[in-house]
Amino acid sequence: MSAQEAARRQLIAALTPIVGERYVLHRPEELLLYEYDGSALDQATPDVVVVPASTEEVAACLREAWQRGVPVVARGAGTGLAGGSVAERGGLVVSLARMNRVLSVDPLARTAVVQPGVVNVDLSVAAAPYGLHFAPDPSSQRSSTIGGNVAANAGGPHCLKYGVTAAHVLAATLVLADGSVLRVGGAVPDAPGYDLLGVVVGSEGTLGIVTEVMVRLTPNPEAVHTFLAIFDEMDGASAAVSAIIAAGIVPAALEMLVGEGIAAVEAAVRAGYPTDARAVLLIEIDGLREDLADQARRIAEHCTAHGARELRAAADEEQRQRLWAGRKGALAACARIAPHYHIQDGVVPRSRLPELLRFTEEVARRHRITVVNIFHAGDGNLHPLLLFDLREPGVRERAIAAGEEILRACVEAGGSISGEHGIGIEKRDYLAWIFGAADLEAFAQLRAVFDPAGQMNPCKLLPMGSSCADIQQARGALRAVAQGAWI
Amino acid sequence: MSDFALHGLAPSRVLAPASAEELADCLREASARGLAVVPWGGGTHQHLGRPPERYDLALTTSRLNRVVAYHPADLVVTVEAGVTLDDLQAELARSGQWLPWDPPLPARATIGGLLASRATGALRLAYGPPRDFTLGMRVALGDGRLVKSGGRVVKNVAGYDTHKLQIGALGTLGVIAEATFKVAPLPEYRQTILAAFTNPHLPARAIEELRAAPLQPIAIAALNRLGEERIAALQPFRDGQPAHLVVLARFAGTVSAVRRQIREATRRCVAVGARTIELREEDDTPLWAAIADSTAAAYDGTLLLRVGVPPDAFGAGAGLLEQIACRRGWAPRQLGIAGGGSIYSRWHVAGAEPAAVAAALAEVRAGLVTHGGYAVVEEAPAALVTHLDLWGPPPEGVALMRALRASWDPAGVLNPGRYVIA
Repeated sequence: MSAQEAARRQLIAALTPIVGERYVLHRPEELLLYEYDGSALDQATPDVVVVPASTEEVAACLREAWQRGVPVVARGAGTGLAGGSVAERGGLVVSLARMNRVLSVDPLARTAVVQPGVVNVDLSVAAAPYGLHFAPDPSSQRSSTIGGNVAANAGGPHCLKYGVTAAHVLAATLVLADGSVLRVGGAVPDAPGYDLLGVVVGSEGTLGIVTEVMVRLTPNPEAVHTFLAIFDEMDGASAAVSAIIAAGIVPAALEMLVGEGIAAVEAAVRAGYPTDARAVLLIEIDGLREDLADQARRIAEHCTAHGARELRAAADEEQRQRLWAGRKGALAACARIAPHYHIQDGVVPRSRLPELLRFTEEVARRHRITVVNIFHAGDGNLHPLLLFDLREPGVRERAIAAGEEILRACVEAGGSISGEHGIGIEKRDYLAWIFGAADLEAFAQLRAVFDPAGQMNPCKLLPMGSSCADIQQARGALRAVAQGAWI
Repeated sequence: MSDFALHGLAPSRVLAPASAEELADCLREASARGLAVVPWGGGTHQHLGRPPERYDLALTTSRLNRVVAYHPADLVVTVEAGVTLDDLQAELARSGQWLPWDPPLPARATIGGLLASRATGALRLAYGPPRDFTLGMRVALGDGRLVKSGGRVVKNVAGYDTHKLQIGALGTLGVIAEATFKVAPLPEYRQTILAAFTNPHLPARAIEELRAAPLQPIAIAALNRLGEERIAALQPFRDGQPAHLVVLARFAGTVSAVRRQIREATRRCVAVGARTIELREEDDTPLWAAIADSTAAAYDGTLLLRVGVPPDAFGAGAGLLEQIACRRGWAPRQLGIAGGGSIYSRWHVAGAEPAAVAAALAEVRAGLVTHGGYAVVEEAPAALVTHLDLWGPPPEGVALMRALRASWDPAGVLNPGRYVIA
C-alpha cells in the first residue's frame, strides 16, 4: 500500500465515527458523482467524500482534515460553472446535501434561517405562505443550493431590481479550516466590528464552510407584468436595453435571447417565443399597479423606437411560468444546436452592450463557431454560449481562443470577467487582467487570515501562486452540454 | 491646525494628498516612521470612537474631491473619497438620478468618511445599506499599498469583496481613496405621512402595519415626544395635543401609486388610534434631512447611543432605553429607524457621575442581550468619554479582525485605539 493510500484509509477511519460509515464515501464508484460540476472543466477525483448532518459534524470533519493537511472542498448541488467544487488536488469533499432544512421563517422580520443544502426554490416555497420569497433566482434554482448561492454570490434574472445574493444574506455560521466555528453578520445590522460576512459571501468556499445562513426574504409584489419585445435586428434589441436603463427604468428582469437560441428554447418549452425573430427581450416588471402601468408604457416606447416589431404580453401566469422555464432552461435547450459548449460570464457597462454583443458574433464567425447569446441584458451580464462538436479537429482550441477574446473585450470596455458564475479554476488566471499584484496580495492576505495553511478549496479564485505550481492547468477543457447545467 | 483637533489632541502635521497615489505615499511614509494617522473627510463623524492613543498626522481627503467617472446611461458613478455627498447628489440630480442614502450632514460629510463610519439613514429600509450599492473601491492600506477591489459594473464576482471590510472600519484597515456606486433613478414623487400616537404601546404595531403589503414605504422613522419636539422642521405640523410618539412613513414612485399608499397608510394608522397629517411634497425633503441631522454629533454635553435591535424588539428596545434614562432624569430624545433596527437615544447626562452613566450603559446592554441587540456610544461628553465602554464587548471573530488589521496596517498607525478593533 502506498503512503498516500495509507493516509487516505486513516482519514476514512477518522471520519467514520463522526458521521457514520454510510456517510463516508470512498469507493471509486461512489466518488464518480463528485468528480465534476456544471462547468466546462476536466474532472478530478476526491480521495474521500463526507456527508455531515450538522455544524458540529462539519467542524469535527474539518479538524481531522486540518490535522492531516488534507485539502477540503465544500459542495452543494454541483451546479457551479467555474470548477469551484471540483477537488482539483484531491482531498476531502464535504457535501452539504443532508443539511437541507429550512430551520425557521420569521414573517415579521422577513427573514429565514436555513441550512446550506436547501435548494434555492424550496426556500421560496417555504416562504410563500407568508407572501414572501427569496429574491436571488439563478437559472439553476431548482437544483442549486443556498450554500452554493452564498459561495458564488449567485445572481439570476431578478437581481437586476433586487440585487445579488450578498444583499440578501444577513448572517452565516462558518466553520473555519481548523474546525473552529464562527458566526459572521447578524440579525441586527451594523454591529461593531469588520464586515466579515461581506467577504465570506462570494468567497467560493476558500474562507470556510457555511453551515447555516440567515437570509432576507422579499415581499411578493402586488402585480407582475411579463412580456416579450420582438426584434428583427439584434442591434435594435440591445440598443433598446441600453435605452431603457439610460432612461432610469429598472425592470425586475430584462433578459435577452438572440438568434438560434430563440428557436432552441421554443422547441424545448413551447412558450410562445417567436422562432423567426432575430432577438427577443424577456421583460418583467413588478410592484404597485400604478407604477407598473407607467413603466410598461415607457418600456414599450423605447422598444418601439428601436424597431421592435411586436410586444407580446404573457397571457396568464401559466404562460409566464413557461416563458421563464424557457429562459432558465436555455443552456440545456441549446444541446439541440451542437453537443458541446464553452460559456463565458463577462460583464460590461450597460451602455456598451450593443457593441459587445456584435463583437461576440464577429469573434464566433472568425473562429467558425456557433454563438448563442442568452443573458441578463439589463445587468450587462453576457453569457456567450459557444457551441460546437468536439469531433471536429481544432474546434476546442478555437472555442477557447474565442472565449478569451470576448472576455478581453469585456475587460477593455471597463467590465469584469465574471458577473455571477465565479472564478473557481476556470477564470483564476484571468484575474490578473483586472487586478494588479498589490490587489492580489491583499486578497491573499485576507484568505490567509481565515485559512493560514491554505487548505480550503486550495488554488481556486486567485491566480496560481507558487504554492499551487504543481497543479495541472485545467483551463478551457470542455464538456458536453448536459441536462444539469444552467446559465 | 485646530480644525483637526480631536479630544483635545492636535496633530503635528496635516497632509492633504491630491491623488490616490499621494495618499498611499503618505501612509507608506507614516507607516515606515510609525507616525499615527487620523484620516479626515468632512469631520462630521469624528465623534465616533475613543480618543486616539497617538495622533501625529491628520490626513485629509479635501483635495480628493473629483467625480472620476459618471455615465448616467450606466447608472454607475465613481468618485474620489473627499467629494461631499451633497455635491455628488447635485451632480447625479442633473441626470435625474440619486444615491438613495441619507446620512446626517450631507453638505459637509464626504463619501470616504461616510463609508468608513458606516453612516446610514432611514432610506435603508427600501434601498439597503451603502454596502449594497457600493460596487468597488480603491483604498490605500495602512502600509501604503494602493489596492482595488470590486469594479465599475453592477454585477461582478471577481476577487474578494474586500471593500466591504472598509465600510464601517473607521479607517483602521485603510483609507478609502475612491468608491464606485450603483445609483438609482430619482423617484417621480415623494410624500410622507405623519401619525401621532397618544398610546405608547401602539406604534410598534403601526410600523408593522405601515410595512405590510401592498405598502412599500421607502423610510419609516419613529420619534418619542422629546425627540419630536427637538426637530424644528416638524413645528408647523404640531397641533398642540401632546403625542407619546410620532411615526413618519415616506413613500416614493409615481404620483398615483404614492397617493394610493398614503390613503391606505392613513386608514391603517387611524384604525390603530393615531391622528394623521399628510405632509406636502415640498416639505418632504427638508423634513427627512432634519431627521437625519438629528443623529449627528451635538457637542452639547449630551450622550448619544445607537442601539441595534431586531424588528420584533423595536418597541421593547425603545421602551428599555426610555425607562433607563427617564429613571435617572436624563430626558431621552429618541429616534427609531425601521429597516436597520436602529434606535438613537440622546441622554442629557450633564453633571452625572461617570460611574452612574457607565452603570446605565451596562443596564442597557444587559437588557438587550435577550433580544440579540447591541449598544454603541456614538457621542459622549469629554468628561465621560474615557470612562465608558463605547463599543461594548469584542465582536465574534475578533481574532480574525485583529489579524486582518495586522496584515493591512502592520505598524498600527491608522486611528490607533479608536475602534473596537483597536
